[in-house]
Amino acid sequence: MKLPFQIPPIPTFEEAKKMVIDSQIWRSIFRGGVWKDTPRDRAQHILGNVWLHLHPSRVRKHVIDWKYTLGLGGLSFFLFLILTVTGVLLMFYYRPSVELAYRDMKDLEYAVSLGSFLRAMHRWSAHAMVLIVILHMIRVFLTGSYKTPREFNWVIGVILLVVTLFLSFTGYLLPWDQLALWAVTVGTNMASASPMLGAEGPFAILGRSNDVRFVLLGGTAVGANTLLRFYVLHCVFVPLIAGALMMLHFWRVRKDMLSGPPITPQELPHDKVDAWPHLVVREYLAAIGCMIFITVWSILQNAPLEEIANPTVTPNPSKAPWYFLGLQELLVYFDPWIAGVVLPTLIMVGLMAIPYIDPDKNKGVGRYSIKERPLASTYFLFGCAMWFVLIFIGTVLRGPNWDIYMPWESWTIHKAPPPPTWSLPLWAGLLTVGGYFAVGMALPLLMKADFEWKKALRNGLLVVVGIACIAKLGANLHWEQMIWIILFLYMYYILGVLVPRRHLVNQPKQRYFITMILVLMMMGVLMKMGVRLGFHVKYVLTLPQFQLNI
Amino acid sequence: MAETVPQANTVNPEISRRSFLKLGWGALLGFFASSTGATLRFIFPNVLYEPPQTFKAGHPDEYPMGVSTKWTKEQRVWIVRNEAGIYALWARCTHLGCTPNWFQAENRFRCPCHGSNYTTQGDVIAGPAPKPLYRCGIRLLASGEILIDKSVLEGRPVLREKDQFFVKLA
Repeated sequence: MKLPFQIPPIPTFEEAKKMVIDSQIWRSIFRGGVWKDTPRDRAQHILGNVWLHLHPSRVRKHVIDWKYTLGLGGLSFFLFLILTVTGVLLMFYYRPSVELAYRDMKDLEYAVSLGSFLRAMHRWSAHAMVLIVILHMIRVFLTGSYKTPREFNWVIGVILLVVTLFLSFTGYLLPWDQLALWAVTVGTNMASASPMLGAEGPFAILGRSNDVRFVLLGGTAVGANTLLRFYVLHCVFVPLIAGALMMLHFWRVRKDMLSGPPITPQELPHDKVDAWPHLVVREYLAAIGCMIFITVWSILQNAPLEEIANPTVTPNPSKAPWYFLGLQELLVYFDPWIAGVVLPTLIMVGLMAIPYIDPDKNKGVGRYSIKERPLASTYFLFGCAMWFVLIFIGTVLRGPNWDIYMPWESWTIHKAPPPPTWSLPLWAGLLTVGGYFAVGMALPLLMKADFEWKKALRNGLLVVVGIACIAKLGANLHWEQMIWIILFLYMYYILGVLVPRRHLVNQPKQRYFITMILVLMMMGVLMKMGVRLGFHVKYVLTLPQFQLNI
Repeated sequence: MAETVPQANTVNPEISRRSFLKLGWGALLGFFASSTGATLRFIFPNVLYEPPQTFKAGHPDEYPMGVSTKWTKEQRVWIVRNEAGIYALWARCTHLGCTPNWFQAENRFRCPCHGSNYTTQGDVIAGPAPKPLYRCGIRLLASGEILIDKSVLEGRPVLREKDQFFVKLA
């Protein structure tokens, strides 16, 4: 039979694709003329698209090298998107009231199709986002990408890190399980230890029913108001702030150009490549990889849910999520307002100050340049390592009653209670802390400039071991106490004397002063921990009138 | 020409342009300040729906010598009986507010959050807690029962031995 019309030949995939792309509908959506894959078309694809125009149309070659950025900034944002989508979906089944919240969690776990998967995905994406944001910060540091003119974008980045942590903190009250209740109890009690604003802090002028904790909790203890407050903060308030800051962050990245080594006269315009497809496709690939990883992880591992919140019984041990365990460990060694308010503030201020106190102003920008910037790299990496050591202690080495348990020890073994602690008398404390900062500030200035690195290391070790031996014989110390002394004195000798002597002394006075204060405080925290763990010293300096217990 | 230049103060010589703007900016600043203040006030709740802070804990002779955990789960309070009398410790660590656990064999309270240790008196013997445990208000009712009031708290050594926080028993 002969048809009255001709059946068109079945198009190949490429032909079909071209028909779609050249159609009026497609072109009206994506703008631009007929796609001929010219450089103009590729530029138009970026510039004419509201989502993609954050990219420049052409980028320098190093930008598409995955080893340079590792895609960490983009992945942080992608995880934020996953969290937004999964979070909004979870909101359909969740009611923020004390009677219903935990039941809704159980429903999500057992009665809602894919409920437990979405919850797991939300939880693990949040953990991943915290990790990726931290790694992004480390990457930006290592490639010197925070230097002029990007100093302030680094500051915004540090604020975004805090916002990310606050987002996760507000999120984990919502399941209304034991972890939720006790993490928020501890967190808000830290707030109430802040000076002036808290009822239990130094210089308290407010009471239990009008201080900063009262505002956070909407009451005097974690309860119905608190749950509702944290729900609103978590789902509306903080995401809006995070979104606004992210816009600012990305806009500045774009305006300051994607970071890279300074442009040389040899570098020609054709050393650039088109952002579409080279950069954008790599971003999509990273996102797809991340999505696969999170999906598989969420299928294999469900999000934990503890027993229903009980305001009178604390789980033993009670542990915060891993990224707050460093802080939880710090709280063991200092007065709550020092560990919970002063130290976190100092860490944030110290991080924000990095671009402004870094002496190697424009050195090593746009490539991994640890060795070219010895001072900044040493202290930054030491600080990061210290933070992860604290997290390690809190995660792995702490067991019931917050006692030290080695990984191979069972938590069912009951440990003897810790030995009694003691504090230095006030005069000795003032002398120790004052002397530490005064001597610490002066020593690098007094040391002679032309020392030989290896020789100084060896002689220092000999002196430190000598001091430890004398201390052992003189004061009848244990072996592990002797090791503590060697470890901390030698660390101080390298990081507090040798490194500043070589790289910091020639700097302007204010910069020397600020950097040394931050460095001495960072090491001081570690030394105080050693003094507590090794010598049972509760506080080195204690002024109970001002709760100045350090 | 000089006479065509408009004078600044032709309309009302009482109010200069400068003082008018000062007033305007002042009003705007005042508006923002009071808005911030009002918002701050708004987030302080006036009425709380929290459980009552007082409860009856039975007769003193129900408690043998030592620490009783009878009310810990329900009321977050330990009742301590000694030679001289009876008092109630609020089971809230003064460090960051977790509930410590009672260890009979070691004769001490140990906190699971940051490792603070307390004696039966409530004094800190180890860990980071800055202050002794609080004692609750306590008194003997006419019926012979103990009434415990968790809204009245005292942790300071001499003051906590006062009658308000300690019931003397023969």
